[in-house]
Amino acid sequence: MKRLYKFFFLLFLVPVSCSKHLDVEPTSAITNNSFWKTENDATGALYGMYFKLLKESNTGNFYYLGEARSEIMTSSIGGTNGYERYYQQSLSPTTPGPNWIGLYSIINAANLILKHVPDINFVNPANKNAILAQAYTMRAYIYFVLVRTWGDVPLRLEPIEEYDPVTVQFGKSSAQDVFKQIKNDLAEAIKSFPDNNIPSGRYIWSLPGANALKADVYLWTGKQQGGGNADFTIALSALNAVQTADVQLLPKFSDIFEYTNKGNKEVIMVIKSLLIESGDNFYANMYLQTTNIPSNVTQGTKDTIGVGGGQNIWSPTAAVRAQFTSDDQRKFGTFYEIQRTTNPSYYATLAMKGRGTISGGLRFFVNDVVIYRYADILLMKAEAKNALSQDPTAEMNLVRQRAYGTNFPAHQFVNGSQAANDDAILKERLLELMLEGKRWWDEVRFNKAFELVPALNVRPGDKNFLLFPIGSDVLSLEPKVTQNTGW
Amino acid sequence: MKEVSTGDLLHAFPKIKITKLYRRRQSFILLVLLQGFSMHVFAQQTIKGLVKDESGNALPGVTVTVKGQPIITKTDLDGTYSIKVPALKSVLVFTSVGFGEREVVVNDWNPVQVALKGKASALNDVVVVGYGKNTRELLTTSISKLDTKVLENIPYANATSALQGSIAGLRVQTGSGQPGDAPRVILRGGTSINNPNGATPLYIIDGITRANMNDIAADDIESLQVLKDAAATSIYGSRGSDGVIIITTKTGKAGKTVISYSYDLTLSKKGHTMEYADTKDYIEQARLSVVAIAKKNPAAISKLQDKTGYGTGNDLSNSTPYTTQYLTAANQHKLNEGWESMPDPVDPTKTIIYKSTNFADLLYRTAISNNHYLSVSGGTEKATFNIGAGYLTSEGVAISTDYKRLTLNMNGSLKVSNNVEVTGRILYASTNNAAAASLANTFYRGTSLPGSTKYAFEDGTIAPGQNSSIGNPDYFLKGPYAQQGANSYDNISISLASHVNILPGLTFDPQVSMYKARSDRYDFIPTSMRNGVGTLVTSRIATSSYAKTTQYEASGVLNYKKTFARVHNLSVKAGGSYFKRQNYGFNATGQGASTDLIPTLNASATATLVNGSVSDLVIEGLFSGIDYNYDGRYILSVTTRYDGSSNLGEEHKLGFFPGVSVGWNMHKEKFWSVVPGFISNFKLRASYGVNGKTSGLGDFQAQGDYSVSTSGVANAYAGNAAIISNIIPNPNLKWEQSQTKDIGFDLGLFNRRINFMFDYYDRVTKDLLTSVSLPASTGFSTVLTNLGSLGNKGVEIDLSAALLSPSSALQWTVGFNYGTVKSKILKLPFNGVANNRIGGVLVYDPSVKDYRYLGGLQEGGKVGDYYAYKQIGIYATDEEAAKGPKDMVIGLTDKTKYGGDAAFLDVDNNGIIDDRDRIYLGNPNPTWNGGFSNTLEYKNLFFIIRTDFTGGHTIYNYPAVFADGQLQGDALPTKEYLAKAWKKQGDITDAPRYLWQNQQQNFRPQSSYYQKGDFLCIREVTLGYSLPAKLLERFKIKGIRLNLTGNNLYYFTAYKGNVPEDAETVMDNGHYPIPRNFIFGAKISF
Repeated sequence: MKRLYKFFFLLFLVPVSCSKHLDVEPTSAITNNSFWKTENDATGALYGMYFKLLKESNTGNFYYLGEARSEIMTSSIGGTNGYERYYQQSLSPTTPGPNWIGLYSIINAANLILKHVPDINFVNPANKNAILAQAYTMRAYIYFVLVRTWGDVPLRLEPIEEYDPVTVQFGKSSAQDVFKQIKNDLAEAIKSFPDNNIPSGRYIWSLPGANALKADVYLWTGKQQGGGNADFTIALSALNAVQTADVQLLPKFSDIFEYTNKGNKEVIMVIKSLLIESGDNFYANMYLQTTNIPSNVTQGTKDTIGVGGGQNIWSPTAAVRAQFTSDDQRKFGTFYEIQRTTNPSYYATLAMKGRGTISGGLRFFVNDVVIYRYADILLMKAEAKNALSQDPTAEMNLVRQRAYGTNFPAHQFVNGSQAANDDAILKERLLELMLEGKRWWDEVRFNKAFELVPALNVRPGDKNFLLFPIGSDVLSLEPKVTQNTGW
Repeated sequence: MKEVSTGDLLHAFPKIKITKLYRRRQSFILLVLLQGFSMHVFAQQTIKGLVKDESGNALPGVTVTVKGQPIITKTDLDGTYSIKVPALKSVLVFTSVGFGEREVVVNDWNPVQVALKGKASALNDVVVVGYGKNTRELLTTSISKLDTKVLENIPYANATSALQGSIAGLRVQTGSGQPGDAPRVILRGGTSINNPNGATPLYIIDGITRANMNDIAADDIESLQVLKDAAATSIYGSRGSDGVIIITTKTGKAGKTVISYSYDLTLSKKGHTMEYADTKDYIEQARLSVVAIAKKNPAAISKLQDKTGYGTGNDLSNSTPYTTQYLTAANQHKLNEGWESMPDPVDPTKTIIYKSTNFADLLYRTAISNNHYLSVSGGTEKATFNIGAGYLTSEGVAISTDYKRLTLNMNGSLKVSNNVEVTGRILYASTNNAAAASLANTFYRGTSLPGSTKYAFEDGTIAPGQNSSIGNPDYFLKGPYAQQGANSYDNISISLASHVNILPGLTFDPQVSMYKARSDRYDFIPTSMRNGVGTLVTSRIATSSYAKTTQYEASGVLNYKKTFARVHNLSVKAGGSYFKRQNYGFNATGQGASTDLIPTLNASATATLVNGSVSDLVIEGLFSGIDYNYDGRYILSVTTRYDGSSNLGEEHKLGFFPGVSVGWNMHKEKFWSVVPGFISNFKLRASYGVNGKTSGLGDFQAQGDYSVSTSGVANAYAGNAAIISNIIPNPNLKWEQSQTKDIGFDLGLFNRRINFMFDYYDRVTKDLLTSVSLPASTGFSTVLTNLGSLGNKGVEIDLSAALLSPSSALQWTVGFNYGTVKSKILKLPFNGVANNRIGGVLVYDPSVKDYRYLGGLQEGGKVGDYYAYKQIGIYATDEEAAKGPKDMVIGLTDKTKYGGDAAFLDVDNNGIIDDRDRIYLGNPNPTWNGGFSNTLEYKNLFFIIRTDFTGGHTIYNYPAVFADGQLQGDALPTKEYLAKAWKKQGDITDAPRYLWQNQQQNFRPQSSYYQKGDFLCIREVTLGYSLPAKLLERFKIKGIRLNLTGNNLYYFTAYKGNVPEDAETVMDNGHYPIPRNFIFGAKISF
């Protein structure tokens, strides 16, 4: 019997040996140990980075940051959805703009590529360089969005691959340092792109895309960071480089945005949306739900609206709509005013640039979202030339010729003073690029925000409004990040 | 993956040790076998037998002695005993506390069966513990046993509901009236910071691990116990920290074969639901509200002529969804067809006509449910068997919802030899159900469809309402436009077990089992006006899915029992277990079929989603336990378990989980004689234990995840497969560890007619497996980590009393239980913020006269606290409103407030209302609950009334906010609100004015919609009758039992929404109302 007790005693004490049964291999999951080994991994991760860009774009965040605070939008019949804080400039730390988590998620995807892809063997090194170049361009682009929005921001250049409660916290870097990084990344990217081609579909970064971004960045630092003529010169040469690529203006303005005309030669870089795959983008909130299509409108109006979809949460203001002349083909290409047959007749305005496509009786908002297109390049070039006291007439007239067609002679650009030219260029950018997420940044870059945005007009002293406040939801999780001055 | 081989199973056990023992001690195993088969050699002097009480229940723990000899033994948990008797004519003495003593003379060597006078009391109750059994008297841990009476009268579609109000410390919340839905079960407040509602107990059904006890027929349940403290659950080690619920199903008993059949017919009606405003009041108030908002937004006045529920832009054509319109010559005939008219409140010279329909009424019906259960059971001393077959069909009180279940419980045991018994079991369930596709759309959006909506168009075809999310229930839930589909779910568990008597006192219990659960479903959305009148949506989305869980388990337990020197009772057990689980899933979605004729995927033109996955988990463990008691007076119990789990971080896969408990039966002491006689027994007990948990942890989460799909949809960009870094790896993930201290006592009064159990527990859960929020600039919102610790403390009371003397013809028993929980976050990882806070809201804290972050997760705080605005009144007039603080929450540039707008508390008194003026408004987690039951029996009649209560939780009544705040833009407000809403200057009320789309933000999250969820429910009232046996004898019928039962009869509560039981975490986002059930039941046995 005593032996029996010994036996039990042994059982009692014996620890489980580290059994091999506990080493279970995943079947349907990729773990950190198994990833970053092959070229396929790199390609998958590359599209993962764009996938995040698409998700961030669909939420409307790029639009909220780049345009929503301008004079373009106002409330419409579908409620306000909290958008009034943008166009009424009622942002505050507790009702801030978008959280920056989605932007940093794209940066993290780029950082992962930049860290791991150099160690992967590629059959063709050019493919590796192309992937790295895209990651650099993407990181530069997102930091450019961040720095224009919040000024000083955390500058994270290493991916997050582990968790440590202390080191995971990051303080802010100065806007100057962020721009320095952006410019370095762009230099790396431009060096690495294997050629000047824009890959078919035009939905990934290319050398012309990087050059367009570079021009955009240098125009900004030239005007906002004291870079002056040196930066304008760099911007101008980057724009000249873009013009050597396969790009042109499409004769018909609305063709640029048609679902059936994706990847056309006017665009340089778009965020691509596909039916089924991508989900609706932010233009859904600029159209009209079927149930809200009024009964008292003409058949022509009904036909133009077609199948309803989305919600008319906001639409262009009367003041902005009034700036379009009726002979400007960009008017109908950009928006459509619904008039009723009863009094009052004005009902709402629909965004035509992003009205998507119809499938199965439903409207899907799956237009590509344009980041850069040729008309933008021409107008940036006009801006750079004017800043360097050169004549911007050629570029301005190219844009206007397309817009007014046979009526162009009545709308010819005439070179004037530098200030008058700037005003004309900024207005041309409104007419050309409205609803493409650029207006607020244009106004800040031209130092015209307080002049042109009615809600800022009345509070000229509040310079902090040029940046966004950092949300208290962000601050509560980032003790090392401080609020922007004035908020 | 690999199949489980015998080799794999053996690996789970420490076979090396056995082998060594085998070699050294000549042949230990052989000896064991020989002993087993040669038992009869000693049997000549051994008397075996069985002790029962008067009602035939086996009596464990009865002392058996041979008169005048130092020979003593006790009956086993099944009432059996064996004792060595020196010679014939010896006298056996049977004694047990609470029973009359009996002496029996041994005349031959045949088994001696005796019945003791008196009834088995709570002390003799056999309680199933981890890998064994014990009596209540010797139990030192906190274990509650379900009184299976609660299973008898209500044909539960989900037997989990029977636990509600039945077990002290177990919170069971019924959040849904959908038949078959499981209530939420949380023991002692749970052990989770992130997901307090996800802390579900471990279920062990006939030794097989399950995630829940859904789809078990209540009729199949023999016993159910809840292991509560860590000393009781530590033998389940890594999965025991949220409690363990052990269920055994019915088995056959030796004796005559019993056939019984029972049937229940249930009529169900909806319980409490929110009531919505009348059509006329809606049109009137909504039109006036448009005029009111036009004060700030003049363009809005045009809404009066829109095609809305209150607008006059509708006509008799098929292109407008509502009936509301001005009376014209062309439509005045409608007034003869049931339409009504009213003057336009905005322009009384005009007349509005409309047709009124109550869409909420269309949703509900009187539902009928049937439950059949047939069982055949019996056996001999050698073999027993049991077959139970059940079929339940249960209609929901909401149209197009139901639940059907077929169950089968087959088991048999065979005594292969005197010492080896083999048992096989099959437990099978097959179910399918139809449930609401969206709780929000069905139970508060659809029901708030304005009454002026067209039910049908002029041509008689049915109209959809606004759209599918706020639609006509008859259009979207039944008929040709409703979503179609079917699902089936079945699970089977098969187990083989054996009980081997190796040596006297030494037994071995091995069990192997397989559990398979699989489900499939398909859905189809036919061509319909899902987006409202005007366009037919023809995408015809079809989905199909299949999921399977396969689980293999093996365990073996050695048990040794021995009594030394008559007073030292020792029981030792040791064993191992192995658990392997694989989840397999597949689903696909397609669209673009050219016809509605085929509702399955094969008709789809385009595949829009394909998804499949396989995932494995292995857990293995070794455990042991020692139970010792000195003469039943001093009791000590120790258990340990080592567990290893494949889903933890590389270096942290193993865990050690000990438990120890002690008890002192004071009534067995000599000094007890000085205690007043009415105190019959008193036991003090205390326990401490550690157990773990890994729930919420994905199988491979610790290793990080690069995902190729999000919520089952492939990640892709422009047609290229995309891989994203989704989960940050955390190789340091380890067991979450709960340490529980429990002290309590068991007290019996008046010869144990009153039994009282008390427990105080203090549980600290460390290294919580919790998602910690990350700084947003990482690009990740959370990472799973072992974070901080959570404390839960509380008391539990369990009382049962037979109020009348045992000799009385009328018997009245009362049961009461009550449990409390107080939770506190004890520690969080250092992050440089005060209290290491994560999240929270910045508000003014009057106690420190400054702004502070409150709520969120912080040390010293609770999980889930609500912060919102406090409504302090309604401005009676515009002048009064003008004097109030400036309200920054109003989204418009013009912040002016008017009469009828809500006044909010300016907490920081700075003349501005902003989000720093929010205050604490409660917490969604209940802190106390319990139950109270009465049973009256008189001869063959019985009457039961059972109530349960839960409280301490606050519910954000979002469905009411949605309706009253007119958030959607065209939905009915609640009737109660609209009646008392502010309507004109000078009105004194507590309900703000009715405004289109919450324009003045009166319906921001604010105090009047944070409502107390405390409730008391009359859960069961039963009147029953058993036909007299004498009458039935003639028909060879053993018994007939009839009952009339009311279930979920009434809730006493202040909560105004549909269901007061479930606050969820943020808000009430739609609940299927709890039905009132009226049941007729009959049971006949032969």
